[in-house]
Parts: sequence; C-alpha cells; structure tokens
Amino acid sequence: MSYKIPMGPYHPGLEEPYKLDMICEGETVRDAELHIGFNFRGIEHLAETRNYVQVIALMERVCGICSFIHTLTLCQAMEQLAGVEPPPRAKYIRIIMAELERLHSHVLWAGIASKLMGFKTMFMTCFALREKVMDVLQAISGNRVNYSMNCVGGVNRDIEDPIALVPMIDELEREMMRTIIPIFTTSSTARSRCAGIGILTHEKAISCAVVGPTARASGIAQDLRRDAPYAAYEEMKFEVPVEQAGDVRARLFVRALEIIESCGIIRQALARMAPGEISSAPEKLVFAAGTATSRVEAPRGEVMYSVSWKENSRNPARVHVRTPTYANMPAVRWMVRGARLADTPLIQASIDPCYSCTDR
Amino acid sequence: MIALDAIRETLGTAEPWVESHGAHWLNPGTATIRELAKLMNSVSARFITITAYELPASEGFRLEYHWDLEGRLLGFPFEIAGNSIDSIYDLCEAADWIEREVHEGFAIDFTGRDYEPLLLREGDKPGVNLREAPAPSDPAPAAQGPKEVAK
Repeated sequence: MSYKIPMGPYHPGLEEPYKLDMICEGETVRDAELHIGFNFRGIEHLAETRNYVQVIALMERVCGICSFIHTLTLCQAMEQLAGVEPPPRAKYIRIIMAELERLHSHVLWAGIASKLMGFKTMFMTCFALREKVMDVLQAISGNRVNYSMNCVGGVNRDIEDPIALVPMIDELEREMMRTIIPIFTTSSTARSRCAGIGILTHEKAISCAVVGPTARASGIAQDLRRDAPYAAYEEMKFEVPVEQAGDVRARLFVRALEIIESCGIIRQALARMAPGEISSAPEKLVFAAGTATSRVEAPRGEVMYSVSWKENSRNPARVHVRTPTYANMPAVRWMVRGARLADTPLIQASIDPCYSCTDR
Repeated sequence: MIALDAIRETLGTAEPWVESHGAHWLNPGTATIRELAKLMNSVSARFITITAYELPASEGFRLEYHWDLEGRLLGFPFEIAGNSIDSIYDLCEAADWIEREVHEGFAIDFTGRDYEPLLLREGDKPGVNLREAPAPSDPAPAAQGPKEVAK
C-alpha cells in the first residue's frame, strides 16, 4: 500500500520553503511531486519599475549566496545595450569575486550536506572555513553578503593591494586541502551516506537539461567559463571536473575538486592584474533599444539574463532571469525515485538548491 | 562543431543567423515551435528557457526560445497574435516549469498540456503579474468576491 509523505514547506529536514510530496511504499520512495512558489517576490516585475542604477541593487537580492553573480550577469547584458566594455582590471576583479563566491557557496553546501549526513563536526569545520572566505569577500567589498561590487562598465571598488590577498587565498586552500577535501573524498561516513544514492543518470540529466555541478556529476562536461568565456576567463587555465556516477557522492566530488580549481583561478587573476581603471562607464549611460542576453557560470550552474530596453528609457522593459536551481530542481523527482525516505533530505540538498533564486 | 547554417537549412528559413547582444538569433519563418524543438533534440542542443514579452497595443506576445549548442546561445523568436502556442513539454522535458511560469505570468496557453497546480502562485489566477493588459478570462474587479483569509 502506498502513502504520501509531505516534506516541507516547513520541515526540519528541509529548511527552506519548498515542498516535496513523496509517494512511498514502506520506506521506499516511488514517486515525488515538487511544489515551489512559497517565497515568490515578483522581482522580474519589480525590475521593470526600477531605473538602471536601482535595478542592479534589486537583482543583487535575487539570491543571498550568488548575489555577485546575479549583478555580474545583469551588468554584462546591460553593458551590451549601452555599448560599454569594462576595463581589464575590472574583469579580473569580477573573476576574483565570482570565484570567491563559488568557494563560499561550495563550502556552505559542504556544511549543510555534513549536517544532513549526521556529521556535525564537519558542519562546524565547514562553517568556520566559510567565515574565512567571507572575511576575504568583506576585505575586498566591505560587505559580507550583498557586495555592491558590479556597475555597468566595471566594478565599484578596486583591490588596491592584490598581493596582500595571496596569503589569505593560500591559507584557504591549505585548510580546504587539509580538512574538507580529504574528509569528503575518503571518510567512510561520507562514503556510506552518499555513494549510490540519488542517482541522476546521464540520459536523464540531458533530458532535464540540468546545469552546473549537478550536470558535471552525471558526466556532462559543460562549464560556461570554458565553453562561452566571459570577463577574463579566456586567459585562465583550469580544469572542469567531471564525474560519471551521477550520485550524491559524485556531486560532492565535483564540488570538492572545483574548490581547488577556484583557488587556482583566483591566484592567476591576482597575479595578472595590471594597474588601471576599474570602470569605463561614461557619465551618462544611453541604452540601445532591444534585447541583450548574458550567461554566467554560477556556483550552482548557468544563470541567464534576458534584458530588454525601450528607446530613451531609464528603466528596463523586461528582465527575465533563468537561475540554475530552476533548471536542476525538477530532476530531484528522478533522483528520489527508489531512494530510502531517510536519504531524501540529503538527495534534494545535493543539487545545492536555492529557493530564493527559484522563486524570485 | 555543428554548423549553424545546417540548422537554418533544415528549418527551411531564408533569413540568415544574426549574432546580436550575446546570442545567435534566427527567425524561424514558417517552422513551428514543435518542429524547432525536434530539430534541437536531434542536434543535442540543451534547452535553456523561454522569455515572454507582451507586444504593445495588445498585438500579442513574443516568445523567445533559447537553446545552448556547444557553448553557443541560440535564440528563436516566435510572435503570437493570440494567446496560445503549442507546448513542447512532451518533446522537451526541461520546458515544463518555464511553460507553466509563462502561463501564469502572461496567461499564454501552451496547447496540449495541463498546468495545475500553478507553479509559483498556486491558488492564484494566470496573467496578473507580468501582463499589462488584463487576461481575457479576468473578471471585472467589482465582480471579484472578497479574498479568503486563512484562519
């Protein structure tokens, strides 16, 4: 006999507003339905009522974790309409901020995953390390969450002494290599809780068009930083980690390896930063009528913005946001099929879902 | 790398690809969205999203369909005079949520599929968020009853 177990929108195993209705037989999940929209804010509509300065601050609030990425994607689209090219130094600063945000996001995810595995010590270790990443973000931007770094034509704040950041990045990498990565990749706790569960097959990953680490853990080698480079990523040397198993452990491995790659990218960007301007925006911006699109590889996968402008307007006519969780979350239905009920909180967490992004 | 012109020729479109503001755009001409979706599946393109725009003076809507093909962003605009267009959900599973979202934001009907429950605003009605002109099925404001308040 089957029965339905609702998980969410308020549930200790799922601490964000989202609902998974699971059809179970005994302890086994046979099917699931997903429900979102509990936190809908109508940000796309609000964007049409804000001018080109205000809209950047608004879209920064789409996501708390990827706030920099959202303004980067928006500004890149607006720069195309305004015919502005950011100076090289601004592009490097954008890369450094984007990779620090990836570190911060991946370490945060590692902490939450540890908690769901019942590995509380690791949770504390991850969050202590995340604080250090946030310290670096704060040292650069003055802020811990919404950084206000991006503007049309570049960035608002310079990294005055890039060399001073190198020891901080070295320490971060050392700590991650010493604790998070070996524990996640070799400990029996992590292996027993993650291996072989929540499998998303390669075929299903293609069919669902998943993105980011979720796609790369199912054998899809896609990463916009390499495939459609933006900012100064074309100059960076890095690997795109890909795993084939498609289970929770593969998603964990991909993120662990991406932490190392991100440290390498930050170090390259710091070393290449030449003196110069951080913004090339003219005093008055004029946006061409039409639509511009921009895509960025966020920590969770591809973010895409379509920005449309009407002639002589200060406000965008339309801002459409496609966030990575919006692409990845429908795949959770296939991941939990056949799983044990007790594994479902960890399985849904393994895509690193962001409900704030999804609901907008 | 798959040549974009091969896609254009298969669709039977005379107009060339136009690279503009971050995407490669192709006017699909007489090709339907379902023909396009089948073609995109055949070249292993990854579906990204649909962006809907309301055209001025109730001229209908423009729906921009986006796919990724080997790192290139492809855009296909479809203008619809009325309120409906064929659904591609059965051909492209990834289009499910965005079709539901466009339906509730603009009251556009994707024919050949169901939407219930609504994706982002369950219990609400379609076309009250992003659409300027009221949706055809909207009752006049005076005819609306008082909203129920949860107790």
